[in-house]
Amino acid sequence: MVIAKVINHHEEEAANDRVLFGFWVYLMTDLLMFSVLFASYAVLHNNTFGGVSGGQLFSLPIALTETLLLLTSSFTVGIGMIAARQRDQLKTLIWFGITFVLGLVFLFFELREFAAFIHEGHTLQSSAFLSAFFILVGTHGLHITSGLLWMGTTMAYILKRGLNTALVRKLTMLSLFWHFLDIVWIFIFTIVYLAAFV
Amino acid sequence: MIEQSPQTTKKSQHEHKTIESYIIGFILSLIFTLIPYNMVVSHSVSGTPLLLTILGFAVLQMLVQVLFFLHLGRGPKPMYNVGFFVATVGIILVVVGGSIVIINNLHYHKLPSDQVKKLVNDEAIYQIGGLKTGACQGQHEGHTVIIKNGQVSPTRILAIKCDRLTIVNEDKIARKITFGTHPENQVYAGMSELMIRKGLSKTITLSEDGTYQFHDQLHPETAGSFTVVP
Repeated sequence: MVIAKVINHHEEEAANDRVLFGFWVYLMTDLLMFSVLFASYAVLHNNTFGGVSGGQLFSLPIALTETLLLLTSSFTVGIGMIAARQRDQLKTLIWFGITFVLGLVFLFFELREFAAFIHEGHTLQSSAFLSAFFILVGTHGLHITSGLLWMGTTMAYILKRGLNTALVRKLTMLSLFWHFLDIVWIFIFTIVYLAAFV
Repeated sequence: MIEQSPQTTKKSQHEHKTIESYIIGFILSLIFTLIPYNMVVSHSVSGTPLLLTILGFAVLQMLVQVLFFLHLGRGPKPMYNVGFFVATVGIILVVVGGSIVIINNLHYHKLPSDQVKKLVNDEAIYQIGGLKTGACQGQHEGHTVIIKNGQVSPTRILAIKCDRLTIVNEDKIARKITFGTHPENQVYAGMSELMIRKGLSKTITLSEDGTYQFHDQLHPETAGSFTVVP
């Protein structure tokens, strides 16, 4: 019995490692996609077609606020993972809940920024610079949105079924995804927002 | 129970270490965000050094995330995920770096705004999306300059904007006409040089006003000028 349990445990861990490795490979391919969007932004950011440039359009305080929101959420998701590994359901829900709210506020800032640009007539079709900007930052925003949906449904499952092994694995993948989005945002903050004011 | 207790303490120690690494990582990531932000706002440094510095901080920031948050390299060996990460970073450097180098080269060789000027004149595109491009519309008067025995006649041409200027090369050698005074060349209406072979001519539209010099790049003494009034 005991031996069977140990073997079972080992098999479970091996399966866990396989799943996480597979997810890691997905993250790396996603990173490659972002790198192509970054390359096109780097190449096209001066092609404003007589319209506004990044330095005239962006607001650095807003970009900094968004960055701090995501950095903090990357931290809270980590603390949430520690609670999840200790099977502390309440703490897990609290920390992932905080992460969810931070992500939602981030998304609110980003959508408000997009809406303001479009309202002023700076749309996806205005120039190559704006096309590259909206696609790069918008793709990141879509990832954040799907991350939030994933987080919401996983938290609902935890409430319904309790924190089991499968859900901890899900949370682990989610936390990897979230840290990954944070890394992508750091480069957006630097290359898109900060570099526009250099 | 007795057997389990050292394992439990080991586990809790590990978790304690993890919390510590998250807190250190969080503080470091805040520092690595605020330093480049302040550098850009204060503009104490500028241009390429500033750009390279903020990119450096972004890389540091990424390393903080990878080491303190993702705990890359702490997993079981062999670390295939680290291998994948390094390979991905390599591909990214090739894709991003390569794109920037190639397109910068293209921009350098074909100045985009001049290309647009030349294109709108050549293709007679008068407006794009309601905006005037500066291209000339309809037929206007023509002027002729003849280059013979290295002499330009007449040496001065007075024209009205959108007139046409034909340069005829009656010499036995090809002429490479550039604008401006030797050795400083300039671009006129998107044209940087006109190659006119022996016995042939080229016609340009005078779509920009002002006074311009032109000369043969290989024989700067073969020179003339034209004045375009609006």
